[in-house]
Amino acid sequence: MKSLSGYHGVVLDVDLSSGKINRKEIDPKDFRNFIGGRGLGIKLLWDALRKPGVDPLSPENPLLLMPGAFSGFPLPSASRTCVVTKSPITTPKKSKHKHASTITYSNMGGFFGPEIRFAGYDGIMVRGSADRPVYLFIDDDRVEIRKAQKFWGMGTDEFDRAFIDELGDRRIRSCYIGPAGENLVPYACIINTTARAAGRGGTGCVMGSKNLKAVAVRGSRQPDVAMHKRFLELLEESRKGFEGTPSTENWRRYGTGSALIWASDIGAQAVKNYREGTYIHADKIGGVAARRKIWQRDFACFVCPLACKKSGRAPLGPYAGIVHDGPEYETGTMLGANLLIDDMEGMMKAIWHGDDFGLDIISVGNVIGFLMEAYDKGLIDLDVLDGIDLKWGNVDAVIQMLHKIAHREGIGEKASKGVHYLAEEIGRESHKFAAHCKGHSLAAWNCHYRPTQALCYVTANRGACHLNGHSAEDQNSTALVDSTGVCLFAHRGYRENALADIMEAITTREWSSEEYSKAGERIYNLEKSFNFREGFRREDDVIADRFFEEPLTIGRRKGAVLDRGQFEEMMNAYYAERGWDSKTTQPSKDRLKALGLDFV
Amino acid sequence: MSEQEASFPKLTIRELFHPPLQDRRSFIKMMVIGGLTITVGGVVIPRLRFGVAHAESPQFSMILVDFNKCTGCRTCETVCGQYNHKAVVNGEQLLGLGNPYLSNIRVYSFNPDVDVPIVCVMCRDNPCIEACPVEEDEDGRRALYRDPKTLAIKNDPERCITCGACAEACRTQRVEAIVPNPKTNRPERMCTLCDGDPQCVKYCPYGALDHIVGGYIGGSHYGLPAEKIAKELIERWYGVKLGKGGARG
Ligand code: SF4
Ligand code: SF4
Ligand code: SF4
Ligand code: SF4
Repeated sequence: MKSLSGYHGVVLDVDLSSGKINRKEIDPKDFRNFIGGRGLGIKLLWDALRKPGVDPLSPENPLLLMPGAFSGFPLPSASRTCVVTKSPITTPKKSKHKHASTITYSNMGGFFGPEIRFAGYDGIMVRGSADRPVYLFIDDDRVEIRKAQKFWGMGTDEFDRAFIDELGDRRIRSCYIGPAGENLVPYACIINTTARAAGRGGTGCVMGSKNLKAVAVRGSRQPDVAMHKRFLELLEESRKGFEGTPSTENWRRYGTGSALIWASDIGAQAVKNYREGTYIHADKIGGVAARRKIWQRDFACFVCPLACKKSGRAPLGPYAGIVHDGPEYETGTMLGANLLIDDMEGMMKAIWHGDDFGLDIISVGNVIGFLMEAYDKGLIDLDVLDGIDLKWGNVDAVIQMLHKIAHREGIGEKASKGVHYLAEEIGRESHKFAAHCKGHSLAAWNCHYRPTQALCYVTANRGACHLNGHSAEDQNSTALVDSTGVCLFAHRGYRENALADIMEAITTREWSSEEYSKAGERIYNLEKSFNFREGFRREDDVIADRFFEEPLTIGRRKGAVLDRGQFEEMMNAYYAERGWDSKTTQPSKDRLKALGLDFV
Repeated sequence: MSEQEASFPKLTIRELFHPPLQDRRSFIKMMVIGGLTITVGGVVIPRLRFGVAHAESPQFSMILVDFNKCTGCRTCETVCGQYNHKAVVNGEQLLGLGNPYLSNIRVYSFNPDVDVPIVCVMCRDNPCIEACPVEEDEDGRRALYRDPKTLAIKNDPERCITCGACAEACRTQRVEAIVPNPKTNRPERMCTLCDGDPQCVKYCPYGALDHIVGGYIGGSHYGLPAEKIAKELIERWYGVKLGKGGARG
């Protein structure tokens, strides 16, 4: 099969059960239709799982580590790796399939995805399950499954250093899980190169179910492009586009940390388990304070001009000595504002533990916020919490909970299953403040005054997702960006249509902007079709009653609350625009056909 | 540093803090909309100097790294690869696609976060050349020599016996900038200084690289390998000692 230029044409297919390693050739049509990254990932997942209800933790479920179509080229911020698999955390209200769950895709920065392409692959697919802990070592054509027993149980921070000692080359890039993934916490994450996480959807849990501690990659190759000269022009133009703009400067100075203050100011932050949108102490944990007290240096992902990662240390107080990155917006909100924690050093320590255990900080911050509220309201007592005094703002209690959850001990076992499970267990209307969609925790954005934020959450194919997009159009475009491997934050620094033009230079296939956005819609619809097949319906596209019933009591948006009628209307308009049945959310045959998804 | 060296007048190296904001007013405006008040100049980045440049050494030219500014983005690697490994497309010589594996500058990352770009530091006593066993030719050149035109270290493939002594000397005595090619054993990754227009300096988005011309660099970090530099930076920035596994106890 002759591959399309811009690609190697090969996905590395590793079966951990049999130890077989195979170079899986990819049909050029799949590259054209699904681009790479998230898009190619869902296509490979669809092909691998031919029936609904496969247990996400069974050997059958493949774990896909997907660089994008731009990965491996020096295009600004083309640094991401998208991890695609069937989620172990999401669940429909009802379904005839026992293990029904959604697709998940989770995106991480750093250097890992580009290195996969340097090694000569357009992706890595891990199937099966090893009978004891292993790691995967890839050095161009040399691929080995190696013993990882001695690393099992190790936190991600220590492992990051120990692994380099083992491998003997700092240029090797790796991704790995911590104890949470090993212990099959459904919202465990995968981490790469010092705490860049594929946080969401439980990718680390799937990795743990395969007994796979880590994947290490080194490469010396690169894909080719079709129109070399044109590519160089676009590369130069794209680099220039980032230079000296206020947005670039803001990213460099505060990363997403600046949002800790402005999101609170506009009433959009998750505060006190989503009860409020404004945190009066946001300035104590925000970017300006962090820059003054904590952050030492700025760090960038592969060829990124923004350097939004901030690393530092807690200089004083009981948490002195902690060295870590952040806070950034999501971690600072979920383990800060959402839990009413205003002690930045303590919060840093909690973030460090969360990352070290390999927990998704968003999900775990949401779960702990829910428990704090239930405890505050007297719905659960100290006994239920194994004696952990989960009062609002109690950092040490939060750290104890993180430990319990990562090891699934006592209350941690229950909490590891997510807020939807806890709400059922606790009952007494606690589901009204369980902030999740399809079992997946809401992220650090509140939606009391923004119906489109709620739409973004409830319609996301991986369960609640804050990056999904506030309209069908935005969602299609996000799916595309995730398929190129360009960072969603940074892609705005490219001029309009630049990504389509670059796709054209790489592949020679003509990419009109319509063709391009159709690809985004195609990807989104295939994900949706996967979920529909599992049994997800309109009744699953819902969000906690809190946002409709309990108006904000403080801040600029005091009094704001969602209106059910208006929200339903908006949802119906959304399904109509998508060409999905508004009762069942089933994509129409015609629309699927028009998108080239006849095989669904 | 000997006394004689120390007596050379110092060159000015660009100030070692973040470059001034290009458009401070619109930045402030943006932050105010976002509810932020910022103190202009309130952000203090500790300064560090990793070398002191000395004038009046016309025979030296080199790339200076400011570790304070480096974010580890590896843009330098890609542009080095692009310039020094060109592609011929339809008979036309064009920049390559920037495979970092081919780069002469290499960025090493550490945990806690420190990134250390390593490139030939153009040692004045060049241990690499000293180690080359090939006899000098009429121009006084061994198989590894300093090119008087570009001032960079060069290999003569005609005369090189691929013994690897040069790379070994660089590895054991300096920064491990040059390495033997895994197939031919010929030294590679010598910084070419890009014919006088260093691409890494030009494209580094963070201004972390400088081209020092007509001077040379001394100072405590000159010619140290990545591990040593990282160790010191980690101690300095984060206050922890780098040990095997478990730097922060
Ligand atoms: S381009 Fe500059 S900031 Fe990026 S790694 Fe190289 S020296 Fe560091
Ligand atoms: S010893 Fe290494 S760093 Fe020094 S001049 Fe030779 S190649 Fe460059
Ligand atoms: S490898 Fe070649 S250049 Fe290097 S020391 Fe040996 S002969 Fe000289
Ligand atoms: S000066 Fe040129 S050859 Fe030397 S490291 Fe920089 S880009 Fe590479």
